[in-house]
Amino acid sequence: MTTNIPVQEPGHNEPGVTDEASNLELKEVEGLSQGQIVRRRFFRHKGAVIAMIVLAAIILLSTTSVGVTIGPWRTPGWWPFTWDALTPVENRTRPSLAHPFGQDEVGRDIFALVMRGTQQSLSVMFIAGIIATVIGVVIGALSGYYRKAIDSVLMRFTDVIITIPIIVIGAVLGVAFGSLGASVLGVVIGLFSWTSLARLVRAEFLSLREREFVDAARVAGARDRRIIFRHILPNTVGVIIVNSTLLMAAAILLETALSFLGFGVQSPDTSLGKIISDNQAAFATRPWLFWWPGLFIIAIALCINFIGDGLRDAFDPRQKRMPSARALAKGKGANAVTGDVAAANAPIASDLSERDGGQGTR
Amino acid sequence: MTRLLEVVDLEVGFRTGNGVVKALNGVSFTIDRGESVAIVGESGSGKSTTAAAIINLLPGGGEILGGKVLFEGKDLAKASTAELEEVRGKRIGFVPQDPMSNLDPVWSVGFQVRETVRANGLATDRAGAKAKSIEVLQQAGLPGAEQRFHQYPHQFSGGMRQRVLIGMGLAANPSLLIADEPTSALDVTVQRRILDHLDSLTENSGTALMFITHDLGLAAERASKLIVMYKGRIVEAGPSLEILRNPRHPYTQRLIAAAPSLASRRIQASGAGEVAPVASGEQQAALEVEQLDLASAAEHRLQHEDARREAGDAIVVDELTKVFKIRQGGFRSTEFTAVDKVSFSIPKGTTTALVGESGSGKSTVAKLLLGLETPTSGAITIDGRRTDALTGRARFELRRRMQPVFQDPYGSLDPLMSIGSIIAEPLTVHGVGDRASRRQRVLELLDQVALPRVLAGRYPNELSGGQRQRIAIARALALKPEIVVLDEAVSALDVLVQAQILSLLAELQEELGLTYLFITHDLAVVRVIADNVCVMQKGRIVEQAATDEVFDNPREQYTRDLLEAIPGASLLAS
Amino acid sequence: MATFVIRRLVASFFVFLAATYLMYILTALSGDPLEDLRASTAPNAAQLIERRIDLLNLDVPPYLRYFIWLGGVGGCFIGQCNLGFNVQGQPVLEILGQALGQTLQLVTFAAIVAVVIGVIIGITTALRQYSTYDYSVTFVTFLFFSLPIFWVAVLLKQYIAIGFNDFLRQPTIPPLAIVVIALALGLIAAGIAGGDLKRRLIAGGTAAVVTGAALAYMSATEWFLTPSLGIVVVALTAIGLAFAVTAISAGLRNRRALYASLTVAVLAIVLYYPLQFLFVSMTLPLFLGLAIGTILLSGAIGYFWGGHDRWQSARTAAIVGFLTAGVIALDEFMSYWNAYSNSSRVRGRPIATIGAETPNLGGNFWVQGVDSFTHLLLPTIALILISIASYTRYTRSSMLEVLNQDYIRTARAKGLTERTVLVRHAFRNAMIPVATIIAFDIGAIVGGAVITERVFAWTGMGALFQNGLERTDPNPVMAFFLVTGTLAIIFNLIADLVYAALDPRIRIS
Repeated sequence: MTTNIPVQEPGHNEPGVTDEASNLELKEVEGLSQGQIVRRRFFRHKGAVIAMIVLAAIILLSTTSVGVTIGPWRTPGWWPFTWDALTPVENRTRPSLAHPFGQDEVGRDIFALVMRGTQQSLSVMFIAGIIATVIGVVIGALSGYYRKAIDSVLMRFTDVIITIPIIVIGAVLGVAFGSLGASVLGVVIGLFSWTSLARLVRAEFLSLREREFVDAARVAGARDRRIIFRHILPNTVGVIIVNSTLLMAAAILLETALSFLGFGVQSPDTSLGKIISDNQAAFATRPWLFWWPGLFIIAIALCINFIGDGLRDAFDPRQKRMPSARALAKGKGANAVTGDVAAANAPIASDLSERDGGQGTR
Repeated sequence: MTRLLEVVDLEVGFRTGNGVVKALNGVSFTIDRGESVAIVGESGSGKSTTAAAIINLLPGGGEILGGKVLFEGKDLAKASTAELEEVRGKRIGFVPQDPMSNLDPVWSVGFQVRETVRANGLATDRAGAKAKSIEVLQQAGLPGAEQRFHQYPHQFSGGMRQRVLIGMGLAANPSLLIADEPTSALDVTVQRRILDHLDSLTENSGTALMFITHDLGLAAERASKLIVMYKGRIVEAGPSLEILRNPRHPYTQRLIAAAPSLASRRIQASGAGEVAPVASGEQQAALEVEQLDLASAAEHRLQHEDARREAGDAIVVDELTKVFKIRQGGFRSTEFTAVDKVSFSIPKGTTTALVGESGSGKSTVAKLLLGLETPTSGAITIDGRRTDALTGRARFELRRRMQPVFQDPYGSLDPLMSIGSIIAEPLTVHGVGDRASRRQRVLELLDQVALPRVLAGRYPNELSGGQRQRIAIARALALKPEIVVLDEAVSALDVLVQAQILSLLAELQEELGLTYLFITHDLAVVRVIADNVCVMQKGRIVEQAATDEVFDNPREQYTRDLLEAIPGASLLAS
Repeated sequence: MATFVIRRLVASFFVFLAATYLMYILTALSGDPLEDLRASTAPNAAQLIERRIDLLNLDVPPYLRYFIWLGGVGGCFIGQCNLGFNVQGQPVLEILGQALGQTLQLVTFAAIVAVVIGVIIGITTALRQYSTYDYSVTFVTFLFFSLPIFWVAVLLKQYIAIGFNDFLRQPTIPPLAIVVIALALGLIAAGIAGGDLKRRLIAGGTAAVVTGAALAYMSATEWFLTPSLGIVVVALTAIGLAFAVTAISAGLRNRRALYASLTVAVLAIVLYYPLQFLFVSMTLPLFLGLAIGTILLSGAIGYFWGGHDRWQSARTAAIVGFLTAGVIALDEFMSYWNAYSNSSRVRGRPIATIGAETPNLGGNFWVQGVDSFTHLLLPTIALILISIASYTRYTRSSMLEVLNQDYIRTARAKGLTERTVLVRHAFRNAMIPVATIIAFDIGAIVGGAVITERVFAWTGMGALFQNGLERTDPNPVMAFFLVTGTLAIIFNLIADLVYAALDPRIRIS
């Protein structure tokens, strides 16, 4: 008898055989909600945890050191120099005790400048990520749940946006709005980088709405709103969170690239891409102008990518699954060919959005 | 002379996040030349792992931890890759479980057979290989083997694919063929034909057969020797008939009592009234104590049947038709009639079974009834009210009276909701009671389906398939419906669990006066639960009558085929 | 099939039309196209403004001006293309032609290299899942994903170009560097080899010793000044390729295929000296002709050797022939390295940091080839880092997925050799989604090199776009978008067709 199994199948008594395997299994999942399991799996991913700590440190460092400036409102920082103040050039602009990252030729402190740039790049990243996520989820959910005409219209609209390379539309809009500051640039990037997420969310909705638990809810009398918000959306949270982190990694690289090209954040403000762009000619003589902003970009993007990987593992270790031959064969009769190709690609499309991060910014 | 196969103290473990989990705990058995041996067990018993371990093809993370696999005296557990490649295919054939996923989708069937022929040195030149491949396919009973040689797996039905796989397994005349649930994914009639064919092939060539199945009736019918496995161990082994008639281990006894195919045969053998003795008196008593013998459960039903015959039909379905449009690409589409003028009625408080093979339209009928699809034509009347006339509120109210239990216990519960909220959902949606009273009702329902109350705060991922199905039943009962639509509700469960759920359903029916529409592909289960049977084929009902009538005097050939396909026909005759 | 293609093209056409309208309006409204002239102090500024307004129809508001532009584009269908003029008054069509040429030169090579390397790394990591090699590659791909390309480009210029050019003044490698490089390569080889300790030691040790010896030899002979392979290395490589390609493509047990490959390799070695005479008067058509001829001839040799699958032997031999020919061509290119490096235009600093070619270089086919190589090297590295990372990730996950499929186990159970299972079943299936992605990518790649072109001062499509945008000049920007958008649509369609061609389950109708 296995009375030691907490949840026992009534009448299902084992004939004198103890069962290590199912005990182990039970131990892992006993009394845990999905959220707890996800959290536990995430914290098992060492890379992701380290990345999260590093990212938090970067955010803390950049916001406390030179303070935050939002419009006229400005908080003080503990760093003695501000990013826009000119100070006397010391030690021929080389890194020194007073200026550990060195100075530029007019005497601005590079550490303060890099911190300000980091703030700007981070805010572009978060704003773009949030806006793109909201738009992508709404469009994907509506398309996938209601299908038919709504789907066609929204997906054609998505196609229009997808046709234009993100760096192109970013550049065009950056010229118009870049001078309005980092947050506006973030909004602009967000407005046009939701397409891959919308497609993924749509694919998730299309498959989840056919699941039996959705049928069960429908038969119980649940309305669309309840089914969408209570049943389908919570089950897509994994896909959404993972992909919005990847969107953020793409957004920070895009912002720096745009600023580098001169289409992003404009003087007198600064961003990490702009610092590199302003100083690339001086590389041979003052490499510190170049190394620090670059390293911060890499550190932030790398952290986000690792967190995304940790989240992917946490939400569904088998998310990279492709549809089985069976699912494909089943879908064949009912779908037109484009649907099939899209369906076949959808589950691995999480890798696609990973690629988008790089694709836009070559 | 060495034994053909001698498995000694085999131990297999799987590496997981929590260390190594043992799947096999010292399994030992032997197979002689030309012998047929069946390994029976529930899911997780280690029967498929045993098969995979013999040819050293354990799935990822699996490892042989100890013991020997002596094949013709040679230990395969320690053999090199090259030696194994030499044995596989040529000396030991393998027929996998799921015909849908075991053929490579991108190569033609002919190509895949030919490479098997080549790899095992059965032909040296091109033309010879092709001729041999066609011969292999013909022997496996594939009609039109030559014409279909260049077709792809997706153009084949499940049964034909399984024939291809059997052909490949037997291509090289191996001395041992391992068949891992070779037909459980197929319809019963197809299953029977394929197994008959497999029998004759192995018999003719003197190939020993190791047959793995979850169906005790099937195992006993097809093999001379039985091995019963439970949780990675062999609990009982011996000649098939002897085990069937005189099971020693309690587990085997319960397995026999719970197997629907055997129960249905026993009812058959004894006429409608009493149940034939299945075991010696003492064991029979033990079984009755457990209340799990399906045959006696069915007998119990019969005795109470008259009491339940009240006036009125719960459901009347009249000329119901559903036509699907299938897009053919471009702007064309063809029509496919899934349900074709189906009519039947279900008296209150009784169970009607809708039986049919895959594609017969039985699940579409369920969806139409539940309002998940709209009928193309025809009418559904529930409690005297036609559903198509209902709008909004009335339709919503009607849902309270009819609730479903679906097939897949893993797919039908929202993984993110707690058990309590899952069961309470219909109550919440319909605004029944307040928080406290709903909570009370959830606890009541858990009692009713015989689950501990603590489960209310847990999540579906902690539960076994049987427990999940109980939750699904509790959810269906939450609104105190009169009608429950059971769409393959026990098909995905292991036999013991299946038997428990079936007896739970019977109890609930008696207690609450429920009306069941029981949709299934398994006639054997029908015998123990249903009062009336409708047999569906290609969207139409071909036969409908009382259960005994259908089983004793089937009118249609199709029904007769279905009945004959229930395994274990000859076993209990003597 | 035809219906499908037409339906898709029609749908895409309207989508694209909408996108171009959006693009045009956004570009036109992003600034003032007359900015430079308004600030100008030239006496005829007013006249110049007048002329530009006239030329570019600036008096028409953008939402109508678009249709003038569209009319010009519509002319392309009747052979009278008119993409308008840029602000300097040059016809855009002409500039577009040059720009497209440069960009294609840059991205084609990069795409091929990235696909080959990415797929190979992806497969090897999938086969060695959870090994140190796998984890390291995963980390490196994440790093590549996180690299700002403009930053990498500057580093490449500094360390690869300037560093290597400096190194060429005194091309000896310090012993410590040799040891470090040899050990590093040894470790990588050991990681890829996998298996037990003995196997890894052998693989790693061999790689380290061979690398160390080669580097020491190169350093001692100042090989980098006058690089060459010579008949010995060519011969060894040819024989090695014959064995390696056969092992992967047909299996060494297939004797006929092996003999066919060896025949091709030996033939190549025999022809090494005679070919030198032909090489003196090399032209591009002759070069391509020879390449195709080599493939056909080797294929024929393989076919006549036969074996139980003629086409398999033919394919194997053709691959060996092509690769061996490549090695011989590489040897020939190397022999011109010194001449190129010391020419008056290059002056001993061969690796270029900007532009697509050395102006007024002259020289024969081989010198020109070396020149292209030195200019392509840095931008190609910058471009392929991210692509390699993504192809690696993608191939890896696809391959892992396929390796878990039931039919792979069945293939093993049938008695197929591991090579057959991996190449014929796993690889073939894993490549279906990867091939689709590659097709998508190629469509996007022409427009995707904006930053790389800017950093390395190539005047390609990216420059066309960027200059146009900076001057609020919609016509060049639209020309850029017209090409990239059309390519994207066509290659998306191709991706679907490729999918259908590779996967028999998908029918296109």
